[in-house]
Amino acid sequence: MARPVSRLALEGVRKRFGETTALDGVDLEARDGELLVVVGPSGCGKSTLLRCVAGLEAVDAGTIRIGERDVTAVRPAERNVSMVFQSYALFPHLTVRENIAFGLVVREEPKTVVRERVAEASKLVGVEELLERRPYELSGGERQRVALGRALVRRPDAFLLDEPLSNLDAGTRVQMRTELRRLHREIGSTMVHVTHDQVEALTLGDRIAVLDAGRVRQVGTPDEVYSEPADLFVARFLGTPAMNVLASEAARPFLEIPAGTLVGIRPEHVRLAGEGVPARVDLVEVAGSDAYVFLDSDLVARVASDARPSEGAEVRVAFDRKGLHLFHEASGRRVPGP
Amino acid sequence: MRAGERRWGGWRQPAGIAVTVAFLLPLWFMLSGSLREPGQPPPRAPELIPRPLSVTSYDRAFDLVDLGLHTVNSLLVAAVTVPIAVLVASLAGFAFLLVAGRARAILVGLSFAALMIPITALLVPRFTMFRWLGLIDTWVPLIAPALLGLSPFYVLLFYWSFRRLPPELLEAARLEGMSPFSMWRRVAMPLVRPVTIAIALLAFIASWGNFIEPLIYLFDPDLYTLPLGLRSLETLDRTNYPVLLAGAVVATVPVVLAFAIAQRYFLHEDRGAGWLGR
Repeated sequence: MARPVSRLALEGVRKRFGETTALDGVDLEARDGELLVVVGPSGCGKSTLLRCVAGLEAVDAGTIRIGERDVTAVRPAERNVSMVFQSYALFPHLTVRENIAFGLVVREEPKTVVRERVAEASKLVGVEELLERRPYELSGGERQRVALGRALVRRPDAFLLDEPLSNLDAGTRVQMRTELRRLHREIGSTMVHVTHDQVEALTLGDRIAVLDAGRVRQVGTPDEVYSEPADLFVARFLGTPAMNVLASEAARPFLEIPAGTLVGIRPEHVRLAGEGVPARVDLVEVAGSDAYVFLDSDLVARVASDARPSEGAEVRVAFDRKGLHLFHEASGRRVPGP
Repeated sequence: MRAGERRWGGWRQPAGIAVTVAFLLPLWFMLSGSLREPGQPPPRAPELIPRPLSVTSYDRAFDLVDLGLHTVNSLLVAAVTVPIAVLVASLAGFAFLLVAGRARAILVGLSFAALMIPITALLVPRFTMFRWLGLIDTWVPLIAPALLGLSPFYVLLFYWSFRRLPPELLEAARLEGMSPFSMWRRVAMPLVRPVTIAIALLAFIASWGNFIEPLIYLFDPDLYTLPLGLRSLETLDRTNYPVLLAGAVVATVPVVLAFAIAQRYFLHEDRGAGWLGR
């Protein structure tokens, strides 16, 4: 299916709700054909960002462009974007076929075009067998597919996905994540996917934008954002368990760092080796092949499950130097090195 | 079974039967009374089944008053009033939903205020207005309130029903380019069908049972609605009360039929969990 590809850009976008600032000068670009994942904690403004792009919320300042068009003041329907809502927003009184065809019927497309496009979209999302059912007769995953089908059928310039996987059970979520990735590869359209789930962001996105309190903290590939977090917020937000962060005093047994800085190290870079600083194991959490070891020195280490120490054991702790990150204590910004 | 259900479960059936009997008993006495031979002294005690059973009072009721014509008149008035009332009330309720925060609060507040005004306070101003317009002795004064949704209560009921719909449904429709009117017609209304039917039924009952307004506005007996016709039977002496009750049965049957037809839509509207995607 040939799809239009389109760049999507926000320039200095601000949005307030009364006294609350939802978006505070957001500059962000989703490149042509890119799957950009916007990730952040609840209430950081990510859904507002998407709604502003869709035109469901008017921005207070800034510009939104889709392709080369400035759509800041354009009505939602004329922006030619499709949105998949967290609750799927399927029309319960319509069949799956009617739901998928909805946008085309509203635009009074010829019946033959509607029939062809519905067949095409339903095949793409794998709901051909469900076309005569109603949404309340479908499982969560099936509803999700129908919502995607409805978004696809209109061949929009860009897709906006507002936490579309968050209502699914864990198994279906993983399956749908893979299918979403496959779908994006097949249609090649620009997609902006909003989620609070860092695993979803890291596995799904071509690039990730980390949002906090209405500001973009960092944009980059999943590797970049994970391996070189721009600040302490990004460092702590991405990764499970969160990155260990130590002040200079606490870090001294392991290494010397400049005054006014903090050192961060991810749990997988904390080694429980034969030599190093002595520590006692407080707690061990087993998560399949990995185990998280919580030490009395407020550090967490990630080790292979079959090599985990027992609770209460005395161990020696060392840092893998290539996994160290330095941050300014005051600003939280990353310091190159160490 | 939850604790609350356990506590009340045993009482539900007898309580339900008691309420049903309380409501059915007057209807039964109306029906049984209408089947009594007219011209006889009234029974000393309540009579569940009269002896002998007779339908003479029905013949007499139709002979004394043109109940057929009045029934048709009432049906015609209701047939115009009810759709207009449902249309206007639902459109107004949907408009409330689309209006932004503060203006919406003012509109809802005004509707409540309007709801508090007793209908009797409006009779004189309305009569003056319709007389000035030259519409006395027509059905227009009976139908005209439907142009305002018949009652602010119906507007508020629609507004509350629309407010229960997930907002994303309307946002999805907006993204597809639907106008507010299309959203009302193609998304909102199909999703509040039980409420629409309930309001239509309430509007029908209000129109059907309307006595005071026909009494004020109608003078030509050919335009009389059924409640006015029934009033004529009230003047009969006590031995002929079966004739009045026969008229009452004729007046009640359409309401019962309307409820019987409509109730399955709003009492058995069960499409399973997640009907609204929640």
